[in-house]
Amino acid sequence: MEDVLEEVVSSDDLKKFERIYNEQLRSSVITQKAQFEYAWCLVRSKYPADIRKGILLLEDLYCNHNDSEKRDCLYYLAIGNARIKEYTKALNYVRSFLQVEPGNQQVQHLETLIKKKMEKEGLYGMAIAGGVIIGIASILGLSFAMVKRN
Amino acid sequence: MNRVDLKVVLLGNAAVGKTSLVERFVNERFNESLSYQNTIGAAFAAKQMQVNGKRLIMGIWDTAGSEKYDAMSRIYYRGAKAAIICYDIIKSNTFQRAKFWIRELRTVEEGCKIYICATKNDILKHGAVPSPDINVVETYAAGIQAKFFITSSKTGENVAELFNEIAQDFMSDPNNVQKVEEVIDISNESKGTYCCQ
Ligand SMILES: Nc1nc2c(ncn2[C@@H]2O[C@H](COP(=O)(O)OP(=O)(O)O)[C@@H](O)[C@H]2O)c(=O)[nH]1
Ligand SMILES: [Mg+2]
Repeated sequence: MEDVLEEVVSSDDLKKFERIYNEQLRSSVITQKAQFEYAWCLVRSKYPADIRKGILLLEDLYCNHNDSEKRDCLYYLAIGNARIKEYTKALNYVRSFLQVEPGNQQVQHLETLIKKKMEKEGLYGMAIAGGVIIGIASILGLSFAMVKRN
Repeated sequence: MNRVDLKVVLLGNAAVGKTSLVERFVNERFNESLSYQNTIGAAFAAKQMQVNGKRLIMGIWDTAGSEKYDAMSRIYYRGAKAAIICYDIIKSNTFQRAKFWIRELRTVEEGCKIYICATKNDILKHGAVPSPDINVVETYAAGIQAKFFITSSKTGENVAELFNEIAQDFMSDPNNVQKVEEVIDISNESKGTYCCQ
């Protein structure tokens, strides 16, 4: 239950936020709040297709949001990718976050969880050996000035 | 290992000191040098406690606090047996927000006991003045049958007392005692087998 990678959204919650999002979609004014809440439910779904949809919504938010929201997007992008076993991407999001906020304990903890999960699946050594660590900037096609305020 | 007997949720404005309170209680530390880290979504921590010779696991959900996350906080307080509603001892706007959460909990989570927590008591030593007045909060707490604690995560003052009181109150209900014992029995029987989900 405490494992952010295992936690599963209730179908009632998912439906509720989906309805709000879809209503806004029809009226063609989608608030960041509705999109974020729906995406947050989707990445915690047990169905990979939902998670992928959630990731798309978060990537969109990441690109179009103001700075203070970006860290939240990165965090849930890392979670979503880890849940569909896209570990390299997940770790890239984690590292991008930690570049801006090195001491963040929530994200450090997430990194540990992801590595544990990879180890369990015998993947961790591989990712390192493959040298596939690329910056998130290239994933999302932008440079990140991100959350750093002042 | 994932068993939680008693679910506790923390609510209140961002930056009033919820995460620091959990950190002080669970890990017995306070890190002032860290720059402020606004909690993302919600964070979970668990601590094993002893009450009247019985062991129980307290699961603590620490919420983000900013209004953007209100919908999420609502998901996390569901089924909580206790809520610690925090406000900053010198910031009356955070007390207003505390009252907002209390009103909401009282209507949707009737089984959830409320503990009001005024945080950062140590700053009063440097001449800061409580706002609202402590009497006002005491009267308010008494009026809604909530308990009121004044804590400092920096010095540790009253932090363990707050969580112990929550555990005590929980175990004062015989139904809860029974549930805790049942789970312990089961885990004794399966001793030797190791299970993971
Ligand atoms: N002096 C003092 N500062 C505190 C105390 N508790 C928290 N803080 C500070 O208040 C800020 C917000 O704390 P945090 O626990 O992250 O608040 P949250 O957003 O409610 O989780 C941080 O800079 C903490 O160092 C306290 O008991 N005393
Ligand atoms: Mg916090």
